[in-house]
Amino acid sequence: MKHRVGGVSLNVAFTLAQPWTVLFGPSGSGKTTVLRAIAGFVRPEEGRIVKHGDVLMDSTTGEFVPPHQRLVRSAAQTAWLFPQQDVSSNLAYGSGWRSKPGDVAKIIQEVLSLFHLEGLGDRRPSALSGGEKQRIAVARAVVSAVTWDHAKPPLLLLDEPFTGLDAALRDDLLLGLRQRLEEWRIPVLSVTHALGEAFQLDAEVIKIADGRVIEQGPVTNVLAEERERLLTSLRVVKG
Amino acid sequence: MDLEALWLTLRLAAATTAILLLIALPLAWWIASGRGITRALTQAAVALPLVLPPTVLGFYLLVAMGPLTAPGRLLIRIFGHPLAFSFEGLLIGSIIYSTPFAVQPLVAGFEAVDRGYVEAAAGLGASPARVFFSVVLPMARSSLLTSAVLAFTHTVGEFGVVLMLGGNIPGATRTLSISLYDLVQDSNYAAANRTALVLMGFALAALVVIYLLPSVRRNQGRQADLVR
Repeated sequence: MKHRVGGVSLNVAFTLAQPWTVLFGPSGSGKTTVLRAIAGFVRPEEGRIVKHGDVLMDSTTGEFVPPHQRLVRSAAQTAWLFPQQDVSSNLAYGSGWRSKPGDVAKIIQEVLSLFHLEGLGDRRPSALSGGEKQRIAVARAVVSAVTWDHAKPPLLLLDEPFTGLDAALRDDLLLGLRQRLEEWRIPVLSVTHALGEAFQLDAEVIKIADGRVIEQGPVTNVLAEERERLLTSLRVVKG
Repeated sequence: MDLEALWLTLRLAAATTAILLLIALPLAWWIASGRGITRALTQAAVALPLVLPPTVLGFYLLVAMGPLTAPGRLLIRIFGHPLAFSFEGLLIGSIIYSTPFAVQPLVAGFEAVDRGYVEAAAGLGASPARVFFSVVLPMARSSLLTSAVLAFTHTVGEFGVVLMLGGNIPGATRTLSISLYDLVQDSNYAAANRTALVLMGFALAALVVIYLLPSVRRNQGRQADLVR
């Protein structure tokens, strides 16, 4: 896809084949715009986006599937929890199993526990901390993706899902979520500029800079240089 | 006081408010959802009654509802009689005249809802209609109340359009403000005073409700914070 936004001229092409793929790059490199284009909130000037054989947009034919009809679920960097609804209602907002409400309740309980949010179900967003809001926003997208009543699983788009969380909580959450989403067979494309997060997820990495894909592959290959640089700087500090 | 005029005024205001909200909600959301020349022209047309003398609007409506124009002939065919000097005609005039008072608070309320909430809901698979009713409207509910109160009160107090379009037919088109005018013409100042007081009461009550809204919202916010 090609798209010009702000000072960045985006020109990227990639295919997602692994359960969890990370878009890695510095701030302003176009990562969020890529996610928003896949979700349908940005209409690229040129390009084609296909999910499981379904064309989401194609600039040559003029096809453009609106966001709510795409097999995609997303959580933005800002939580955007609906202020009139409590946490449970927020989590259930995008749930797809209208015919199996009991299962939705079960999934919500499991996701609350997975994100260490037990006991917050009846709270309003105004009574939550920033970290809690962020976790609930990601959890809400997870519930929506898991309960989606469709033969093909939706792609989960997460923009900086763990930024700002304390390290211990992030580590625990990251591994638990990765494992559970793999079991649920929900593919994920997340955005991060945190090296540790990409390595912990052991994900496929798409390195992006100045609106271009630099490299795509296993994290150990793609981010080897960044890892070495980080370790060197740590040795310097230690020495 | 002319109770028949009071009842007619309340009926007219209630019907105007109900119909106007049905029109204003989608219209205001459409205006607030984007930019462009069509939206700007629509906004200008919606705001026109704010700057037009009511008699000018009443005159155009009177002509438009008459048998000399195509819309007028169509309305006569639908209702079986000319709409000028009837309750239905008055209702159409009131709706048009009060449109900016219903639409503009809603546009402001919808514009205050960050697009991030709309995208968050759409990113969870919610259709535009569901996003509107389950996310946007609850967040703009005080604007909805302001819109309803202003539309109702403005209809209660309208004079020029009513006089041009409805004349002064007891039980059909004579509203409280027309009745007040008649009472003053008849030098019945005691009755005029009572009627004026009722109209003043409506206006004051409406303003109190509108100005009370922010403090009600603040209290709700505090209660939500105390849940922690």
